[in-house]
Amino acid sequence: MEHMPLSPDIVESLRLELRRGTLVMAVLGALRTEKYGYTLRADLSDKGVEIDEGALYPMLRRLETQGLLTSEWREDAKRQKRFYRLSADGAVALAQLAEEWRGMNRALEQILDAPAPRAAGRKEVG
Amino acid sequence: MNPVTRYVKEVEKSLSGQNFLRVGRLRISAMIYKDLSRQVDALETKLGREPSDGEVTALLAEFGPAAEVAARYTEMAARTPSHDLMERYLAAVERRLPKEQAADIVAELREALEARIDAKSEELGRAAGPDEVAAILKEFGHPTLAASRYQTQQYLIGPGLYPWFWPAQRMALGVTLAVLVVLTVIRVLDSARPLSAFIGRVFAWWEPLAMVFGLVTLVFMLMEQAKTPVKLAQGWNPKTLPHDNVRKPRPLFDSVFALGFDVVFILWWIGVITVPGRKDASVQFDFTGVWDSVHTPILALALVTAAVHAADIVYPAWSRLRSAVSIAGHVGGLAVMAVLLQADKLITVTELPNGDTRAAQLSWWLDGPFRLVLFFVAVGWAIGLCVEIWRQVRAGHPAGPARGAPPAASAPA
Repeated sequence: MEHMPLSPDIVESLRLELRRGTLVMAVLGALRTEKYGYTLRADLSDKGVEIDEGALYPMLRRLETQGLLTSEWREDAKRQKRFYRLSADGAVALAQLAEEWRGMNRALEQILDAPAPRAAGRKEVG
Repeated sequence: MNPVTRYVKEVEKSLSGQNFLRVGRLRISAMIYKDLSRQVDALETKLGREPSDGEVTALLAEFGPAAEVAARYTEMAARTPSHDLMERYLAAVERRLPKEQAADIVAELREALEARIDAKSEELGRAAGPDEVAAILKEFGHPTLAASRYQTQQYLIGPGLYPWFWPAQRMALGVTLAVLVVLTVIRVLDSARPLSAFIGRVFAWWEPLAMVFGLVTLVFMLMEQAKTPVKLAQGWNPKTLPHDNVRKPRPLFDSVFALGFDVVFILWWIGVITVPGRKDASVQFDFTGVWDSVHTPILALALVTAAVHAADIVYPAWSRLRSAVSIAGHVGGLAVMAVLLQADKLITVTELPNGDTRAAQLSWWLDGPFRLVLFFVAVGWAIGLCVEIWRQVRAGHPAGPARGAPPAASAPA
């Protein structure tokens, strides 16, 4: 089969797929301390996790509906804001997800750190 | 609808006056909604539990009568600066949201947008202008997209049901096509202008086909809404996988057209449809008496064949049962052929009043080639019978390893 050059779109779509599952964990982890939407996004961004606002707010609502977060409208700096924090169920779920994540991470580290076998049919040049 | 949303809707009905027209409904109701939500949340914190509907209603009564609240918040909103683009954006999102949650979602979106606009203004050292606000709104996404993210259902037919969607369409469209073929043949045979009747019918096929396609899609959409699980996938048994090494699954269109032909033949055989004869014909062709003795067996064979072809549409792969029915059909067909080929005459040609005196001669000339055709059909069936028996034998022997596959490792002693 003829080898196609690697398309940046393929890498981008794989990258997004890889990130998608971890975002929920990042949000739950960040909300161990109470935050409202804007500060949550800024906090995640500072730690290197970028998330679109268009995706963040529906996610927060979904996690709240699932009972993993609780929210409260409060006045802060003369403005009404909705503050989110991790619920008791959310803490349990986060602990389980974190354990899963660490296990996967260990397994992947082993796979990725293993020396790559020489590609079949290719001769070393030089 | 929860008491807070109901109350906000009630207040919205009392909005009126110059300020209301300038400020807009959405902004006023969002302010009321946020203030009320804050008070409900504060009550929840005080009680240490979620307040009951009665407790929320009492809080709302304390908040004030709808008309008074409407006037108070219209004044407040008029004094608070806002961005026209943001208001238009929120209104566009609100129109696309589920009514029950719209107020809550818009209130939160407003807060998020205001925070972003304030941060931008701080960064610029001046109030953010329409271009900067537009750039922030673009980041939030098109109103349709932004609202769709709040919908619990993101697709018409989800990934759990989709694998079954096309096989179901294939089956439904196949059966419809078979029915259409039969109806077309009947109409063509019944028509004084067969070619135009045929073209007319074929061009009208798209309508029932589109309707069936739409109906199947609708059923799947409803199943998706109801979250109906496909039990077929759970009760699946690997032992029912087709024997592809015995015979490739039959293509849908082969089965459809074969079934169409079978139905037309059966209808003709039992006299429901007739082949129109020419009005100026000088001779008439008839089957001889030997055909009467095989009339019922031929009808039975045709019905079995039609059933097999109908089954092929649903389950196109080879199966032992289908093969056994096919073998029985071939044997029956050959027995019928044996009876026919032993008869002296198969067709008679009768001279009509305006007719031809060479009828007897024509009868002799036609009978021979017809007999030959039947003989070749019988040879074909005999070959088909042998092939089917061979398939039965072969099905007893599982397929070997694929060519080029590595040899199996020897089992430890």
